[in-house]
Amino acid sequence: MMLDIRDLHAAIPGREILKGLTLSIPAGQVHAIMGPNGAGKSTLSQVLAGRADYEITGEALMDGESLLPLTPEERASKGLFMSFQYPLELPGVPAMTFVRTALNSQKRARGEAELSPGEFLKKAREAAKRLAMSDDMLRRALNVGFSGGEKKRMEMLQMAMFEPRLAILDETDSGLDIDALRVVSESINALRSPQRAMLLITHYERLLEYVKPDQVHVLVDGRIVDSGGPDLAQKLEAEGYDRYQKAAA
Amino acid sequence: MSAIRAIKPSGGEQMLLKTLDSLGACGASAAALVRESGLPNRRVEEWRWSDLRSAVDSDTPIVSLHDHAHEPAPAVTPSDAPIIRELAEALSLDDSEGLDTGGLHERDGQANRVVAVKSGHTVLIERINAARGLSAGSLNAMVRGGKLTRVLIQDGSSDSIVLNRADVVVGPGGAYEQFVLSFGGKLARLETNVSLWGGGQLTLNAAYLVSGGRHCDLTSIVTAEGPGRNAEVQGANCNQVIKGVARAGGRGVFQGKILVQRAAQKTDARQHHQALLLEDGAEIFAKPELQIYADDVQCAHGNAIGALDDDALFYIRSRGVAEIEARAMLIEAFLTEAIPESLSDELCTEIVDRMNAWLAEKSA
Repeated sequence: MMLDIRDLHAAIPGREILKGLTLSIPAGQVHAIMGPNGAGKSTLSQVLAGRADYEITGEALMDGESLLPLTPEERASKGLFMSFQYPLELPGVPAMTFVRTALNSQKRARGEAELSPGEFLKKAREAAKRLAMSDDMLRRALNVGFSGGEKKRMEMLQMAMFEPRLAILDETDSGLDIDALRVVSESINALRSPQRAMLLITHYERLLEYVKPDQVHVLVDGRIVDSGGPDLAQKLEAEGYDRYQKAAA
Repeated sequence: MSAIRAIKPSGGEQMLLKTLDSLGACGASAAALVRESGLPNRRVEEWRWSDLRSAVDSDTPIVSLHDHAHEPAPAVTPSDAPIIRELAEALSLDDSEGLDTGGLHERDGQANRVVAVKSGHTVLIERINAARGLSAGSLNAMVRGGKLTRVLIQDGSSDSIVLNRADVVVGPGGAYEQFVLSFGGKLARLETNVSLWGGGQLTLNAAYLVSGGRHCDLTSIVTAEGPGRNAEVQGANCNQVIKGVARAGGRGVFQGKILVQRAAQKTDARQHHQALLLEDGAEIFAKPELQIYADDVQCAHGNAIGALDDDALFYIRSRGVAEIEARAMLIEAFLTEAIPESLSDELCTEIVDRMNAWLAEKSA
């Protein structure tokens, strides 16, 4: 299994958010997690990426190795990528410098050769072109003055550059207009491969019209309460989460 | 000023007086001031966070560049000049030759420098790499037109006491731009005093990085004077961006006063001081001060002291960058915002390299 989560609990002081979450994604598949506000979707992505603010029990394995003892940077070098729901602005750090530093850090940690500035630039320009991003955006400070949609494109650009084996996309569709959604979806689809697994976390079914998941899971109150094929997303869109929330309450 | 000293000179003051007295006429004025008022200490408001009297011990070497005088010091009455200027004039040599010719000048060490700029762009780069002991230097600049850029890079021994003061007059049509990079010392006090006339342009930026046992004090007073006697020009511009970082045991002090005189209408003054406490036990003291007597002015000031942003740190680390490097990346980005854009690439590289060396050394 690329990702194997077993009975995962995560709590902040005074409140348990994930309450025994179990989920497996094999390599080559795209899974979606849908759920109402406050179900624990973002907590799940933060916990998997290595945010230290939670009290965690249970297990989360990537390729059979536990992620939980690893630092965020070790997880990234292992091939985990999390696209942030709210990407951070880094004043004074040019976007390209940031991505190159990050990519080469990952490569160094894996014992791979770093990209030369020329190789890097070529690759970055190609990725930016596919995402309809201007060179100017690459030169500016990371995400500073970017619109919501531009920030999400910058996340997708990083994903394309890092070529992770496991990508977790936390509400990557929120804040996107139709055109941006199409461009972003295409970049996600372009990365689908038998060696890669993806987890899409979303509120809405809209993204899943462009990126067809192999499985859809419903996250309510810290647990997966239902799983099914792509049809489940449409059903949720039509019926909402009410029946799950009533069952959970 | 003529208050009788209540306490006898400290050991350090006695040693300093011995040196000043040995300099004859050169040291007389400074000696008179030290005899009357003593070295400034924490009871003096402008020095409350930088206690010079306690910093100077009886075994602090006094870095005097003048020869010993054959004649004994004449008796003089103390002037009301600032103590740093008096000490600089007593202890350091004049080093002004060629400065008025414009262009780029790079100078090392403490000295008394005088420069007048009327047109063109003069760049003065001063590097003070002080050894153990007390040294003092000064700059006197008059910018009637054209532009003077001063870059002061202050580093050296953690036993150094570095006193430096710049007095600058910026006339209508003149521009003065200053960037100070300070790593502190046992005590480093870098003062800048600017008299800014209508139409003048002023940039006073700085970055300070202090590690354990080091103290850096950046004190500035900017007075917006108004249009001047024979000029109609109003509206001077003043921009200050000061960035600081301190590690455990490091002390940073920023005192920035902007005084806008009644005649100085249309003054636009901005002052921002931001500092990061990188570790527990780091200390930053800040006193921004605006005194505005004119009614048609724009003045903004901001002062923020905090820690590195955990969210930003997590974001960078989640992309594969190790924590130490992620911190360095954030700190470098934070500090470099204070570097004026007009500095040459070569100089920017030197400044950023020095910052990075500090970051690397202290996180090792």
